[in-house]
Amino acid sequence: MPDEEVLEEGVLNPIKPEIQDPLLKSILAEDEEFAAASPVELEQSAPLPDPVDEVDCVVIGTGAGGAPLLARLAMAGLKVVALEAGPRRDPTKEYATDEKAQHFLFWNDERLSAGKTPVAFGNNNSGTGVGGSTLHYTAYTPRAHRGDLSLFTDFGKGVDWPFGIEELEPYYEELEHFLGVSGPASYPWDPNRRKSYPLAPLPLNGAALLMQKACADLGIRTSPAANAALSARYYQEGIGWREACTNRGFCQAGCNRGAKASMDVTFLPLAESYGAEIRSDAFVTEIERDAQGRITAVVYEQYGEQKRQRCRHLFLCAGAVETPRLLLLNELALTSGQVGKNFMAHPGMQVWGTFANDIRPYKGIPGGLISEDTHRPADADFVGGYLLQSIGVMPVTFASQMVRQRKLWGQPLRDYMRNYNHVAGINILGDCLPHQSNFLELAEEKDARGLPKPRVHFSAQENEQRMNTHAEKLMRQIWQAAGAQDIWAFERYAHTIGTARMGLSGDDAVVNADGRAFDVPNLYICDNSVFPSALSVNPALTIMALSLRTADKFLAAQQRLDR
Amino acid sequence: MSSPHYPEGTVRALLQTDLVTEATKAALLPRLQTTPYTPQLFDASTYELLRAVAACIYPQPEREYPIELAPVIDKRLAEGDSDGWRYDVMPPDREAYRVGLGGINQAAEAMYQQPFVVLARDQQNLVMEAVAAGTAAGTNWQRLPIDRFFEELLAELTEAYYSHPLAQEEIGYVGMADVPGWSHLEPNQLEPREPEAL
Repeated sequence: MPDEEVLEEGVLNPIKPEIQDPLLKSILAEDEEFAAASPVELEQSAPLPDPVDEVDCVVIGTGAGGAPLLARLAMAGLKVVALEAGPRRDPTKEYATDEKAQHFLFWNDERLSAGKTPVAFGNNNSGTGVGGSTLHYTAYTPRAHRGDLSLFTDFGKGVDWPFGIEELEPYYEELEHFLGVSGPASYPWDPNRRKSYPLAPLPLNGAALLMQKACADLGIRTSPAANAALSARYYQEGIGWREACTNRGFCQAGCNRGAKASMDVTFLPLAESYGAEIRSDAFVTEIERDAQGRITAVVYEQYGEQKRQRCRHLFLCAGAVETPRLLLLNELALTSGQVGKNFMAHPGMQVWGTFANDIRPYKGIPGGLISEDTHRPADADFVGGYLLQSIGVMPVTFASQMVRQRKLWGQPLRDYMRNYNHVAGINILGDCLPHQSNFLELAEEKDARGLPKPRVHFSAQENEQRMNTHAEKLMRQIWQAAGAQDIWAFERYAHTIGTARMGLSGDDAVVNADGRAFDVPNLYICDNSVFPSALSVNPALTIMALSLRTADKFLAAQQRLDR
Repeated sequence: MSSPHYPEGTVRALLQTDLVTEATKAALLPRLQTTPYTPQLFDASTYELLRAVAACIYPQPEREYPIELAPVIDKRLAEGDSDGWRYDVMPPDREAYRVGLGGINQAAEAMYQQPFVVLARDQQNLVMEAVAAGTAAGTNWQRLPIDRFFEELLAELTEAYYSHPLAQEEIGYVGMADVPGWSHLEPNQLEPREPEAL
């Protein structure tokens, strides 16, 4: 063990101890006044063990935002350490095909959901563990469209991204080939793409086939969707062979074969093969700075001990709730006033129906079929657009959502659920506009660590409501055309987006177009929190593209400094 | 259309085969045990109230040993576990259950001048109808939003119920037989291990 070190002078340590007792609070407040008035030395925090010398980069989070850049930085020869709050598990031995047993995949520290349409977290959109939320993502990987990045230019509402789609396209190509995305030979809504998907599409399940036929009858184009799950064995540098998908249908509760391109079977082993170190069960609480405001170290809890890792650069990739929470807790990068603001969640309305056909919705890749004819619908009375997808569903998730919507109980509940094998669903994934009433803040209520819980306010605004109305009508038409009975809709919101937005100016954004904080020179942020707008597609592929791009921008900046 | 019924014993039989991974067996088999449960969080009378409420939401007259749902809730609350979020308008989970179950008793007293557990099933159903409709009497509902309480109660009981192998048999679900993979994905195409409705 290295010698104990004393905190450097000028280190800021802004997390205040939690004091609930009002009497003690007032005594301490008096003491503070006294301390400020007298020239006594301020008390130092207890020294912490310093497990490794300073590293080039610490990356907080190992999901779609952190893992690709971790690999990129390690491949560039930098000494990098990733800190992951959750555990490392072996999916082939430890993952059960059981939703309840897979509870450990989700970020289960309680968040407070406020607003008129409160957003569900946990298994709805928030993961943990080595691989982050990619451990539970559906593997649905459509690219964003050019117009998704220019909503303000095109509609006069929302905001533009600080760059165009051409900045992301090379990374999309690289990712589709690296991850082994299965998809159609030609994609109807992006006919000019330079390379097709490396693998053939995954087979369509019952819901996808029903949607395909009904949409054809209604004149809506469909295509097998892009999914980052292997339709054939696939070889990856630094990793080896990954086995093909067996249509287990359990993507959202964890793939036990490595067929789904979660980060734990793709970028993270690649990063480790180039010398990156990944520390699991490492929950970051503090980010230390020197008097100039440069980050010097990260403090984290691991196995009941507090530890410190010193670093030259920090990459914060903890997702759109934990990233702003860490910034707010540490009073870091707050000069724009935008941290926690502009929280967005994708309208993800689902429509379900009961069919005479035997569907068995647990089989096959859940999102088998896509339509993007609704990307810019001709009859839209809203800004932006959405995609349509067929959905398979696991039984507990289905039952839980169904009762929240339909409030069935008693014998009618058990009777309805015996139709499970005959239900099929479709849903949308739609754009969401930033709005001042949708934001994250720190609550008074504390979690088990004594840290304030995040409270997230979300109320679907007029644009989201209009989009939902449009989509529900269309999806009901499709399911009626498919022969469904007992059709019902579930209004839901998926994905956590915004809260540390990227932009051209530090007056209204937290990070610049390269992902670097405007007011902290050695802080980069890369996850869905930097999205200026929500996009009309699932975010994972774009987060990964941003991650590679952020690494490249960082490395280019370092090279300039070296010259 | 009337909902299908599936043969009994399908999941229990599958769990004895090598069609199910060890990890999945380890998750499911313990849930089949019917050993009595001693509540860790709730006092005895509140626990019996929770059991009665669960039996109202998930009546199982056909089962000699009904699937017990109250232990799942009591155990979770005792451990302080969470599903990662809570409606901001709701108090913390333990408080919500305490106040909400108390509210159900208040509604029972208001309607029948008796606590919920001693009411006949028809009467319990009428109390539960009032709770589900948000019209139940009781001062507790002034500090607990009745609609969100009912939704959360229903969702947690539902997740507990359909996580049970017997409930999965009931709906014809055999996705836990995860070793071989699935090749018959089209509608009406079944694998040999998928039960047909009776």
